[in-house]
Amino acid sequence: MLDLTSHIAGPYATKLLADLGARVIKLERPGGDRSRGLGPFLGDQPGVERSGTYQFLNTNKESVVADLKRPAARTVIERLVAKADLVVTSFAPATEERLGVDYNALRDIADVPVLSITNFGHGGPYRDYRLSETTLFAMGGEMFGHGLIGHEPLKLGGTAALLQSGAMAGIAAMGAIHAREAHGIGQHVEISLFDTQINSTDRRTASILAYRFSGRIQERAAGAGGGIAGGIYPVADGYVEVTASFGNYWQRFVEMVDDDALRDPKWLLPQTAMDPAAKEEADAIIYPWMLTHTRQEVWAEARRAHAMVAPLFTGTDIFEDRVFRERGLWVEVHHQLLGSFPMFGRPYVLEATPWRLRQPAPMLGEHTGAVLSELGFSSSDVATLRSEGAVA
Amino acid sequence: MNEYLPLSGIRICDFSAVWAGQSATMYLADMGAECIKVENPFIWNPMTRAASPRLNAMTANFIPAWMGGHPGGEPGPRPWNNSPAFIHVLRNKKSFTVDSRRPEGLAIVQALIRISDVLAENLALGTLEKLGLDDAAIKAMRPDMVILHMPAFGRSGAYVEGRGYGSHIDAVAGSTILRGYPDSAPTTNAQIFAGDFWAGAHGAFAVLAALRHRRRTGEGQTIELAQVECSAQMFPQAALDAAWNGRESGTIGNRSMEGFIPNGVFPCAGVDRWIAISCRSDAEWRSLVAFLGRPAWAASPELGSVTGRAQHEDMIEDRLAEWTATREQDDLFHALQAAGVTAGPVLNNRDAANDPHLAATGAWKRLPATADYPETDFGVPACRFSRSDVGLRTAPALFGEHNDYVYRELLGLGDDEYERLKAAGHITDTYDANLIATA
Repeated sequence: MLDLTSHIAGPYATKLLADLGARVIKLERPGGDRSRGLGPFLGDQPGVERSGTYQFLNTNKESVVADLKRPAARTVIERLVAKADLVVTSFAPATEERLGVDYNALRDIADVPVLSITNFGHGGPYRDYRLSETTLFAMGGEMFGHGLIGHEPLKLGGTAALLQSGAMAGIAAMGAIHAREAHGIGQHVEISLFDTQINSTDRRTASILAYRFSGRIQERAAGAGGGIAGGIYPVADGYVEVTASFGNYWQRFVEMVDDDALRDPKWLLPQTAMDPAAKEEADAIIYPWMLTHTRQEVWAEARRAHAMVAPLFTGTDIFEDRVFRERGLWVEVHHQLLGSFPMFGRPYVLEATPWRLRQPAPMLGEHTGAVLSELGFSSSDVATLRSEGAVA
Repeated sequence: MNEYLPLSGIRICDFSAVWAGQSATMYLADMGAECIKVENPFIWNPMTRAASPRLNAMTANFIPAWMGGHPGGEPGPRPWNNSPAFIHVLRNKKSFTVDSRRPEGLAIVQALIRISDVLAENLALGTLEKLGLDDAAIKAMRPDMVILHMPAFGRSGAYVEGRGYGSHIDAVAGSTILRGYPDSAPTTNAQIFAGDFWAGAHGAFAVLAALRHRRRTGEGQTIELAQVECSAQMFPQAALDAAWNGRESGTIGNRSMEGFIPNGVFPCAGVDRWIAISCRSDAEWRSLVAFLGRPAWAASPELGSVTGRAQHEDMIEDRLAEWTATREQDDLFHALQAAGVTAGPVLNNRDAANDPHLAATGAWKRLPATADYPETDFGVPACRFSRSDVGLRTAPALFGEHNDYVYRELLGLGDDEYERLKAAGHITDTYDANLIATA
């Protein structure tokens, strides 16, 4: 497939495909995808090949550098489109047209499925508006309901909203491939980042429907947790997330803490859950227990009791965790320039068609020559294209 | 019109629960798979059809709006058919009821498995196995089945007995520690469920890939998606910074890991109105300064570069917040965008429901009233296909709505057998009265 996307959302969609075996030819502008400038950098040294964000998002892809603004690059695009099973783009609508890679222009080359990922779609009042991770989650996602009342609404960590939208675009891409193979059709498939967040199952779809049903506004919470026990508790070496506010969950929680004082049936009365004094009494037992256990000790007891309690892991925990290691969450990348470094491996285990790291994220323009030659450009054609600045 | 559906002819036997599993099968149903939800009227699966099978208006009102906002604030006798938290993941699906723990019920489930292409589940580990529906048994009935397991912490390894909802998975996946107010301990972090959205999308993607392989080779397969391992990949930068540089990431509040300065959420005029602003480049900063009328605090040439602004990030945020606090949110949004600055209002659920762009771009479809909710606009799938009829084709499946279709049409049961199963409580459109009373 021909990948004309850049930054985060589009490359994540095509990464999902590449990691399961698709041949993804990534077309980069001269200088490269701007995600090459995003950290963390290997050894904290910035560099066009050293970006963690880029290395993560572009595993198993090939990189061809072409300048779509140069007319000479047109034949390269035409030949790539003619051979593709899917084209994925992530330009702004106005840019798409200017560069001649909007759906109609691509359709004139071949009846291939085209997935275009845009900020706000190809119509409507916000069509040409700018967007960032933060404004995307603010407008589309459930930011308003995240955080505490009396404080500003909060975003998610990292670039989670853009990546979520990329995952949704991955589904759209697979849908387009199925439609082509099942019915022999090409078509235009559109994903707007705004729409993917408006459709988020992280409460946004629910909160919008709740408004339509009841007129209720989803406010931010007054505090974390609820009931007698619930929310985030400090433990000896960090924090744990607790759900124990009712019935069965409370009983499993009590089994975890294993303190007879909490086995009194009074704790199960509905009025207890709303009683601040009862919470104080319970906390006097729960806090000392928590603070004398580490996260892993708490989690081991929680698993024994099937309590809904789990530790807050950090990046280091996720990297070093023995169980994740044994199960194969991490892989080692062997990069011809950078040497070896760890990378996230499979997000899922497919028994027959496993996730596989075939090659690291490509170096800038690493495959320009090979791909152009495969497309039938002679070495003198390529030299001319290079000298004109159409490819690099 | 079911034209050109990507998954036409594919049937899903759906045991999934809560959001992660139910949204995975929803995306597949959106693509045209016939998704048949297997529902047991004698078991209340928590957080799958409503907060509780027995909800009065007062209780519902205590529950946060996204889960407690039933129609008119009144859940009525069948809250499982009008929960705002759960019915939206039932669009484009079918629902039938059966008590699979009894032999005649299990036989019905097995008959459905034999004519299904995908089996999806994210139940507590061992639930299906207890019914004798382990992978080997499923493959014996249907050798080319695509089986999707979505355990919270994996089907092997030391964490198999871990239990949790989205918030617990988010915790272990590293999501929770990365969000929160910079000046507060993580104990104040409110729950979100980013992992449900993420795992659901990946579950659907993995099945789509497996179905393509099956179409080409005839071979099915088992997929294991450990939600925590999948969700950890929503935060690659933090994990790689730890792995590569030994650096531990914590919350940066609403600041940007992409190096945008300023980047944040600022107050607007009115009560609880906010706007998100990101200066994604020095050019956007210059646009912002021009838009502000070049105030003295923003005039220093040092602030023209992002490294210069990084030295004064607190000051920039404070001054900007003072300025935005007197501006009306929607005006400011459009004016900043027109000036070339990335900005977006923090839309609450009412704002989003009434957003003019969403209305103009076909984000909603009005569905007719049912006995359990009035005529209502529902969201349509985010992906728009120009030829395939991917969209909101059928309303959220009511509990047991498709019993006739599944038992008679699909499985070919005669009247006698149908009546016998109905009398035994398998076929119903309500949960068992005892279960409702004691849940």
